[in-house]
Amino acid sequence: MAIAKPLPRISIPRKPSRIGAAIGLVTRSRTALVGLAIVLFWVVVALFADDCLINPACWVGSKNYKSTPLLARYGWEESFRGEQMQDPSAKHWLGTDRQGRDLWARIAHGARIILVLAPASVLLAVLIGGALGLMAGYFGGWVDEAIMRLLDALLAFPQILLYLVILAALGPSAVNVVLAIVIAGTPGIARLVRSLTLDIKTRDYIAAAQTRGESAWYIMFVEILPNARGPILIDAMLRIGYAVFAIGTLGFLGLGLPPPSPDWGSIVNAGRKFIQAGHVGDAVFASLATASLVVGLNLMADGMQEELNRYR
Amino acid sequence: MAQPIEKNPQPVIAVSDLAIAYETRTGDVRAVRDVSFEIFRGETMGLVGESGCGKSTVAYGLVNYLGRNGKIANGDILFQGKSMVGRSAEALRKLRGNQIGMVYQDPMTSLNPVMRVGEQMEEVLTVHQNMGKDAARQRCIAMLKRVYMPAPEQVMDRYPHQISGGQQQRVVIAMALLNNPALLIMDEPTTALDVTVEAAVLDLIADLRRDFDTAILFISHNLGVIARVCDKVGVMYAGELVETASVQEIFANPRHPYTQGLLRCIPRLGSDKSSSVLHPIPGRVPAPDQLPPGCVFEPRCQYAKDACRSAKPKLNPLSTNPAHRSRCIFAEEIDASAWLPPDLIAAPQNLHESKPATHAGPFLRVSDLKTHYRHGSNLLGLGKKEYVKAVDGVSFDLIRGKTLGIVGESGSGKSTLVKTIIGLEDVSGGSAEFVGFDISQRTGKRDLDLIKELQMVFQNPDATMNPSYSVGHQIERPLRRFNIVPKEQVRDEVIRLLRAVKLDEHYYDRLPRQLSGGEKQRIGIARAFAGRPDLVLADEPVSALDVSVQAAVLNLLMEIQSERGTTMIFIAHDLSVVRYLCDYIAVMYLGQIVEIGPAESIYNPPYHPYTESLLAAVPVPDPTVAHSNIRLEGSIPSPINPPSGCRFHTRCPRRNLLPNNGAICEQEVPPWHEVTAEHRVHCHIPLDQLREIESAVKAR
Repeated sequence: MAIAKPLPRISIPRKPSRIGAAIGLVTRSRTALVGLAIVLFWVVVALFADDCLINPACWVGSKNYKSTPLLARYGWEESFRGEQMQDPSAKHWLGTDRQGRDLWARIAHGARIILVLAPASVLLAVLIGGALGLMAGYFGGWVDEAIMRLLDALLAFPQILLYLVILAALGPSAVNVVLAIVIAGTPGIARLVRSLTLDIKTRDYIAAAQTRGESAWYIMFVEILPNARGPILIDAMLRIGYAVFAIGTLGFLGLGLPPPSPDWGSIVNAGRKFIQAGHVGDAVFASLATASLVVGLNLMADGMQEELNRYR
Repeated sequence: MAQPIEKNPQPVIAVSDLAIAYETRTGDVRAVRDVSFEIFRGETMGLVGESGCGKSTVAYGLVNYLGRNGKIANGDILFQGKSMVGRSAEALRKLRGNQIGMVYQDPMTSLNPVMRVGEQMEEVLTVHQNMGKDAARQRCIAMLKRVYMPAPEQVMDRYPHQISGGQQQRVVIAMALLNNPALLIMDEPTTALDVTVEAAVLDLIADLRRDFDTAILFISHNLGVIARVCDKVGVMYAGELVETASVQEIFANPRHPYTQGLLRCIPRLGSDKSSSVLHPIPGRVPAPDQLPPGCVFEPRCQYAKDACRSAKPKLNPLSTNPAHRSRCIFAEEIDASAWLPPDLIAAPQNLHESKPATHAGPFLRVSDLKTHYRHGSNLLGLGKKEYVKAVDGVSFDLIRGKTLGIVGESGSGKSTLVKTIIGLEDVSGGSAEFVGFDISQRTGKRDLDLIKELQMVFQNPDATMNPSYSVGHQIERPLRRFNIVPKEQVRDEVIRLLRAVKLDEHYYDRLPRQLSGGEKQRIGIARAFAGRPDLVLADEPVSALDVSVQAAVLNLLMEIQSERGTTMIFIAHDLSVVRYLCDYIAVMYLGQIVEIGPAESIYNPPYHPYTESLLAAVPVPDPTVAHSNIRLEGSIPSPINPPSGCRFHTRCPRRNLLPNNGAICEQEVPPWHEVTAEHRVHCHIPLDQLREIESAVKAR
């Protein structure tokens, strides 16, 4: 029996790993690289604000552990007497706030909060919204109607109103902030995944799976979901940006994490009162931090989108 | 179409040494090289070749629509004696004026969906020729009449989506002709159309060339279409013209190994698997940046000698016929009739040896099967309920080990029938039995052992494999699911299957995007046969493939089938492919079978008028064959409200054989005439009269 020989001179690239492909997606685009640099800056600042990550005493929650500031230079609650409301200087890179706390230290620790809460809430929303969208798209009929009408009802509320209602009812806390963002974000993700599912489920390989008698769950999660991952990933990247913004807004409105937590929204809110007194540092630098992180995430999403489209 | 045309001294278009290059990141890539041809008034030149051979690039090069990164790198294009190379876009437009028309494959890409047909056509005249609105309208209507458009006044007021695909293509052709162009470039103008519509459009093109005295460059991958409309043919391979000659010469006396290979790939209408075999061309077209150093066809050529590897051959005229030119150093020596297949592409053996039936009952019995979709009512069941009767009362028996072919235009319910049998659609009525087991429920409700026995091969090579998983993974899945082999042998079995579809084990870890269309289709076949099914349903598995690949896949299907004694149902719109592959053929029209019988008896009278029309429409790759002029009008009616009586009566070309012009066809459902025990025809016309009809295709 003759075997078709591949023609010489045609080199077949080796199968790249999943992670390799994802990294390639970011590094091939200059836009995405700039975004990645900004995001990585904040990630490094958050990780090494103090020595918790490299001190085993911190991991096990030892009582003897006392955090030593690294990149943050000072503790985020440490106040310097007689140095309130200072402008940027060599000692205090971004100045100090009304309580004499170093602003850079607070922003660095605030990065830690935002970089945990925003991705966590988006991840949860993608899990829930993705599952709902898959089911609505794949089953269709009344399942689709029930899920989508319910989510449409949620979409009908302005997002900020939804946040306010949820947090007013549950009270401000980190968990509730996440919950609010998940509830507000789920419908959009479900819509996206549903439309992707509707497209993918008409492909022949889905029919092939059905003729093998595969279960609906197998088809949804093994056959359909992996082929929708590109757009979902990019959407999630953008949503993390929105979540950063939303958490900032909630903090500004006093509905975020309770004081003295150094979340960026609260810093802006606290600093707002002193703008007219000529001390703009708090409000400006915390706002800049939020903006830069959001821009970084959006640049990454844009760049990846471009690469993914070219790739098709 | 064969009359010699009196040639004006000056060709309409003369291309010499044309090379077209695309700028890429790694430098310029010459997609087309060394192409020379000329077309005179009233002459049609065909360009034929596999996909990726540069046919369309030549067409776009002529009008300089090469995109931002494309450019003419060498050679000259003389349009009516004036050079078109190296001029600005504005100068070019003035030079060619409205003298070049183009018709593309998909008519909807040329028509603006938000403008009425009339407005778009009038615009050509009012904008380019400053014609008044009323005069323009009159001219457009006249032109629509000229392209045999039924009810042209009404069509003028419709939007493109409101007319059928064939009518859309007629509008595009009419628009191209409005300026009375000297040159018409047609790029696969009938590829997206049904075979019946294609036949009508090809007739139209032949008529127009005669009446308008236009030069036509006609691009197609289909040798049958080329044989029907062209005067001379250029065969393209990997960006070069490898052979040019008159259409009769090319088909009767091909002098390039590639042309010979192409002709050996296609089943002739009327040939079956016991009398002839298809010989695919091994390998694939090289990418323009990976050309071999010598003759471009050398890696796939059976005649290749050392001399072919060192120097590029020129397109030299034959000593016997200077009008016939071939780019092969052995052109004078190679004789198509003396060709013997080498081992590499040996044809499958013992194809017509069928396994004896193991039990008495029918293997697959379908009786009065119906598949209706609800249409036009909302969630609560309000509103008028309408049903799309995609399959409406189909009955047949299939014997074990045989192949049933199903043919018909698109919209006749072929795919729905197969999907219903395999359990992807709900049965609305009737029954289906597989070796005595009821299979009228969906796959989800079937027993796993029953599911395993029915598998499917799909049409679209790009959608048949899940892009996220490797080849090996996808063939493994049915093996694991149906417990075909013990776990530790799964990998070996996958490799065995890969070898069975003529791919080596390196393919195990490849992803679908690294495969060609033909390779993907082979994997699809391996996956379908992995569970060792008894019945395989193939839904147009080769229609999206190039002819050389198509031959390989057809041979492969037949070989695996005969090895394993699998029964098969094979859908195709290409009647020659079906004839080649199948033992029995069912002709479907609007959800019903109108004729069914052994393959050899379907192709000769007596046959159903619909079968006759399909046969008459098939483009035969032989310019000497005469086609009957039976043509179907319009398109297939809506399956929501099918015509009364005989469903075919609205389009039937043979109603005049019955008294009162077939009044009975509109009122009564026709009876089944039994020609033989196995051959049945669903028609009012008595058998004796059907027998007298002339054969639709005959050698001249």
